[in-house]
Amino acid sequence: MAHQQIAAFARLAKAGDTPNRAIAGQATKLSRGMHGIAYDEVHDEIFVGNPFAQAILVFRGAAEGNEAPIRVIQGPHTELWQPDTLEIDLVHDEIVVPGRDGILVFPRAGNGDVAPLRVLRFDEPNWRAYGVAVDPVHNVIVAGASYGPRPQRKTSLLIFDRSDNGNVKPLRIINGRNTGLQGIRQIQVYPKEGWIIVAQITDGNIMEPEGTFVGVWSVHDNGDVPPRWKIEGGKQNTVMKKPRGVVLNPKHKELIVSDMRLNAVLTYYFPEIF
Amino acid sequence: MLRGFHLQARRGVVALMCFVIGVAAWVLLTGEAKRWQLSVASEAALRRPTGYPQLVSVEPLPMMDGGMCQWVPASTPTRLMAALRQERLSARVATASPADTRAAVAVNRAPVRVIRDPYPTYSAVAVDPIRDEIVLQDENLFQILVYDRLTNTPPTAAMSEPKRVIGGHDTKVEFNCGLYIDPESGDIYSINNDTVDTMVVFSRNARGNVHPDRELHTPHRTYGIAVDEKAQELFLTVQHPPAVAVYRKMAQDDEEPLRILGGPNTQLEDAHGIALDTKNGWMFVGNHGAVAYDQFGEGSSGNPQERRRNLIPGTGRFEPPSITVHPIKASGDEPPLRIIEGSKTQLNWPAQMYVDEEHGELFVANDVGDSILVFRVTDNGNVAPLRVLKGPKTGLKNPTGVSVDTKNQELVVANMGNHTATVYPRTAQGDTAPLRTIRAGPLGKRALAIGNPGAVGYDSKREEILVPN
Repeated sequence: MAHQQIAAFARLAKAGDTPNRAIAGQATKLSRGMHGIAYDEVHDEIFVGNPFAQAILVFRGAAEGNEAPIRVIQGPHTELWQPDTLEIDLVHDEIVVPGRDGILVFPRAGNGDVAPLRVLRFDEPNWRAYGVAVDPVHNVIVAGASYGPRPQRKTSLLIFDRSDNGNVKPLRIINGRNTGLQGIRQIQVYPKEGWIIVAQITDGNIMEPEGTFVGVWSVHDNGDVPPRWKIEGGKQNTVMKKPRGVVLNPKHKELIVSDMRLNAVLTYYFPEIF
Repeated sequence: MLRGFHLQARRGVVALMCFVIGVAAWVLLTGEAKRWQLSVASEAALRRPTGYPQLVSVEPLPMMDGGMCQWVPASTPTRLMAALRQERLSARVATASPADTRAAVAVNRAPVRVIRDPYPTYSAVAVDPIRDEIVLQDENLFQILVYDRLTNTPPTAAMSEPKRVIGGHDTKVEFNCGLYIDPESGDIYSINNDTVDTMVVFSRNARGNVHPDRELHTPHRTYGIAVDEKAQELFLTVQHPPAVAVYRKMAQDDEEPLRILGGPNTQLEDAHGIALDTKNGWMFVGNHGAVAYDQFGEGSSGNPQERRRNLIPGTGRFEPPSITVHPIKASGDEPPLRIIEGSKTQLNWPAQMYVDEEHGELFVANDVGDSILVFRVTDNGNVAPLRVLKGPKTGLKNPTGVSVDTKNQELVVANMGNHTATVYPRTAQGDTAPLRTIRAGPLGKRALAIGNPGAVGYDSKREEILVPN
């Protein structure tokens, strides 16, 4: 991208409404490749990764302009590889980040060259996590992962015990033809109901791929099962084309999607899952 | 008999009225009904349709036995943790939903809101002085726009219409950030930064949703482009792992690069713009500073894709922004000749660059500095720019593209932040107003600059949607 930034738009912004603020510039330490972002409503902080510098950046919730992060996790002890996505677990005060061959868990307030508290290593070679989410109610970590080279790459949702450490097998794996999963990006979990919400771009190398959707599974699902609900891309009324990011706003029963083909943010009223 | 019936009825009515009056007097005298109850009852009796909600009755809440929880602000971690732990206990007793043969429920409803910039956002620019055209990359709507060189949008106009537009699915133009015009043929070279990972080349008369005349598969995250016309070599920067890949100018399809510059000694760090000084044999590369290292060394092909897989965890660093100067034929892990870097340089996310060989000057689009920095091509170390174009009169906002028209002695800038391209005298500095402005959106309208939004977050405190590019 020619210009990196984190733009903050009013919830009710629409069409060409400009952002309330934007975080951008040399001091921010941002790079492109931010494929996950998390807001900590308890401590009023924004968490985002810099995959190029193998770092996790933490900003004030009200950060604006060329403002430096208040904490940076980076260094040889971190084992950070390409941290483009992440999740925060406010119940257990942890940051969960995909690593090279597994998932790294850091203390939420970690700063500098800190070692992970736990490293959940996949027992299968060539698994690589993309999106990751934590459900502290059902005590699971959900990872969107891909296995094997393209185009045979098998996209799966892996559900682990949250406290897993070392080489482990997932509790459950959701994959197969009926799931429609192919090319997972950002994941969210709605702990109250145990829903897993997945943004799927199908194939990032195709400008307008078929089969894109935002799908909802349960943390109890297992095997080759379709999503319980889905908003499909490529349909005229959904507007959506290539959903890459997804986040929930439970207060207003809204599901918010970032669309990389449209360079747009779409907000859906989705009371079914709340 | 009829009279007797009426007399009896009258006596009954009188008796009923006496009873009602007696009850009312008892209620009043014993104080069982409070004044507010009577008042409410009276108001209820007098209630009339108003078209608005009205109070119908008041029911006091039942008394609660036992102690009450202390009130705790909703934002405290204590409350959040307690609530989630309680939910976890509830979840344990819930029956797990088994995998079944249900079908997915498609909820294909329209979004209630869509945030999207409807106007072109200029990411790069090139001037074609031979054909008197200015070519602009629109990274928002994925188009290449060609304007007459002298286009100047009046303040009263909504925007200026381009002479030609290349855009649409067949063009393979997406996240287009780099641009080069062949001085001989007028061919347009367009770099796609993401997704399609392809450089597309169009003839100068191409328009609409047309297939490219030529395609070259490029490394993921290719950003900048420069061409050594004399050597017929095409230079492309790769942001990460940082590299410069050099191809034959006419390379196409899956052709391999002639050479690759990349590795820890090159000091390339999140490489962006590139410019060539063929007169002196130098290559200038702008760097944002973020870097991590791979197992680069003997046996490494230098291929950025391969290097990406071999990145060593925990080697990431942030370095200051810089412009590294390399021999134009540099390859492998060869160190730079010199580096322009330091606080005096004012570099703040340097984007596209241009070398004016005739005057020995390097022009830098300084994105977040809202400025154009001009250095001497011989500069080294922590040096102040020779000239700085910056200020409210300039109209510069997040300039990411720059080009110099040496024939007409003009400097042209693509401003990603305000839907404009601005034209100045080549030697402009300070707070100088543009000679001309090509505007694609309303005057003064800030661009949303949403580009390849890889994720989305929600700030529940401020009720804001967080959108990273």
